[in-house]
Amino acid sequence: MNFWDALGAFVGSFFIISVLSMLWKDNPVFKFGQQAIIGATIAQYVLFNMKNLLNMAIIPISQGKWTYIIPVFLGLLMYTRLSPSYSWLSRYPVSVLVGVGVGVMVPGLLRGQVIGQVQKTIVDITSATTTYDLINAIIILIGVVTAITFFLFTKEHTGVLGVSARIGRIFLMFSLGANWAGEEVWYLTQMIGRLRFIVEKLIKGVILGAA
Amino acid sequence: MSSTIWDKLGNIDYRILYALSLILMLIPIIRPIGLPTPVSETVRGFYETIDNLPPGSVVFVSLEGSLSLLDEQEAQYIATLKILFQRDLKVVFYSVTEDGELIYNYLFSVVNPEKYGKKYGIDYVRLGYAPLEERGQAAVALDVRSVYPRDFYGTPLDEIPMMKDIHNWKDVDLLIYYYTSCTNVEFAIRQWVIPYHTKCIVGTLGCCGPMAVPYFPDYIQGILSGSGAGAELEVISGNPGPGAMMNDAKNFGILGLLLFLILGNVSYLGKRFGGESE
Repeated sequence: MNFWDALGAFVGSFFIISVLSMLWKDNPVFKFGQQAIIGATIAQYVLFNMKNLLNMAIIPISQGKWTYIIPVFLGLLMYTRLSPSYSWLSRYPVSVLVGVGVGVMVPGLLRGQVIGQVQKTIVDITSATTTYDLINAIIILIGVVTAITFFLFTKEHTGVLGVSARIGRIFLMFSLGANWAGEEVWYLTQMIGRLRFIVEKLIKGVILGAA
Repeated sequence: MSSTIWDKLGNIDYRILYALSLILMLIPIIRPIGLPTPVSETVRGFYETIDNLPPGSVVFVSLEGSLSLLDEQEAQYIATLKILFQRDLKVVFYSVTEDGELIYNYLFSVVNPEKYGKKYGIDYVRLGYAPLEERGQAAVALDVRSVYPRDFYGTPLDEIPMMKDIHNWKDVDLLIYYYTSCTNVEFAIRQWVIPYHTKCIVGTLGCCGPMAVPYFPDYIQGILSGSGAGAELEVISGNPGPGAMMNDAKNFGILGLLLFLILGNVSYLGKRFGGESE
């Protein structure tokens, strides 16, 4: 391991430990680590976006692609939000972004996520080839229908609608439980990854000299 | 007022629990155990979709990654790169987050394409970073050069041999879509799969996997969800990597988590039904 790798291992481990020290209690080392990481991240983001602006706007304009001035101008209008007198001008780029965004999204959303998924929920039952697939498809159909009824707020949840909404709530709880379990495991993975860095890079690599 | 055993159980110093968790997770990191890793249907789909591509196929890899989340997806990335470079494919890498290029730098230092006999500009290309939200993905599908006129190193795409015949969705045989924001799987579906029927496989965080599953296998042919899926991909592709050890440590960490859940619930139920006396 060369000097720079060793230095990287030390610096990386220091910042990991400084941030983890928050688990004990708030302290100056934690604050230093947190602020250094935020500073480095912002610097990196600014640099990448400047490079991006150069590649996507400045160079094409300098090569005679004059239409690229329009998006650059719209982008500059966003900064008028800094002035209360001219902040209304920022509504133009926002409107363009919203308009284009919705226009691009809606066709795929309707075809893929609404019609396609509804169709799939029904077709799965009719096309099931095994008992397992059939049971699965029925559970999904019940889950979809009852969960949707849970979100019907224009009618009181009593009678059949009440039963359906209560079943829907159980399905929603299963779904949230699965998501939350995934989130918990994800936190564990983050911790394991950082512990691995300290063990492999610092302890094994630098202190024990194994790498 | 004296505290009951249930109170004591529910009020264990959280720092003791943290320390216990750390010790449990450190065991497999120091000494990997090699717990069995069964391969799930979604990971098999991911692998087989790449494996079934004819030689010379063009693969686009879209990376919406974050350095702070790298541990969760590192095994996925490394195993995927190895699989891609072991085959005769034309691979185009691009990133949609600022961290993406730093992640690629790291990945190419771990999985060196030269070692697999791959040459830059002939077998693979890095397009660099552009802030592609859904609109950007739509633009790439329509015309790659509208978003990426130059590659990561500043070379115009028309001067790169591999890119001469790659212009838009018609030239893309497979999209590998990595993302970290759970609903962003919909960007790939809405802008690549629905309009152009592009084959698509995705990789994401463990917590985002359940939101991608409804699209499998009709819209997306494979899903990698979390580091566990990375380990599965290592197993099915025969490319050992960091996933197996991460999986071992994660299993131990989950044991700790379960212990906390049990203690908390026993304390709660004890207080509720066990009475107040010690």
